[in-house]
Amino acid sequence: MKTFADVHIGDTLGPVHQFVSKDQCRKYANSAGLPAARFTDDEGARKEGLPGIILPGNMSLGLLSKLVTDWIGYDGGARMIRLSTTYRVPVQPDHTLTFQGFITHTTEAERRAEIDVWIENEEAERLVTGTATVQFDK
Amino acid sequence: MALNYDPNLIGRVFETTDAVEVKAERIQSFCETLGETNPLYADGKVAPPAYAVTFRNGRHFFQHVPRFGRAGFDAGKDVEFVRSIHAGDKITLSSHVKEIYEKTGRTGTMVFVVVRSTLSNQDGQEVAHIDHRFMSRT
Repeated sequence: MKTFADVHIGDTLGPVHQFVSKDQCRKYANSAGLPAARFTDDEGARKEGLPGIILPGNMSLGLLSKLVTDWIGYDGGARMIRLSTTYRVPVQPDHTLTFQGFITHTTEAERRAEIDVWIENEEAERLVTGTATVQFDK
Repeated sequence: MALNYDPNLIGRVFETTDAVEVKAERIQSFCETLGETNPLYADGKVAPPAYAVTFRNGRHFFQHVPRFGRAGFDAGKDVEFVRSIHAGDKITLSSHVKEIYEKTGRTGTMVFVVVRSTLSNQDGQEVAHIDHRFMSRT
């Protein structure tokens, strides 16, 4: 079980490399009730001035959330209490995305860790940035 | 440029959605689309934190939200996770416009509309707060 004592400023999450396919993007969009062309249809997305379909912002948020909850582990002891995301550049599927994080701050009194999180493309361009707060039981 | 909107709009809750029952199959489907294998979530009994952003505003909510310029994009979210969401929970969502502001960057002027949504469960307990930033180009 991960405890507050295990966590130090400068500790890293990832990098996790994950290929996200167009099919996965469409499945997410449809199951999340977001069937807009920009998430499901290349031609429709191009009509909106996009290079092709893009990941819904909620999907990027979900993948970053997974980075943090995977880091927390499976046996409790901590939980993510906040996640903030900024969508800087549209995230295109059919690319290998890299998910990373970095502990920037810890608060002993509250047993909390602040984490910068982000998604990069193959060119190391930061597409989505964010911050997460994790609360530890011990 | 001064933004033209009714200042009385800020903070007004227009509607609370009907309760949506959380189904284990929906949680499992959400997990599958994100490649989620964490045993805490993958069996569908407890939703991953990011599931909170899948609940939608009422049909009429956006009739009350002013539009600025061209089609809006999801610029980001700040999510506070208060309680876990479980299969069988009945979730309602109520939203209001928290703030509207303008920002000028490298690519021109953008207007941000921040919609704050509060999710509650069948016991009236708050489950999550979500600040959703919509961005339009003027």
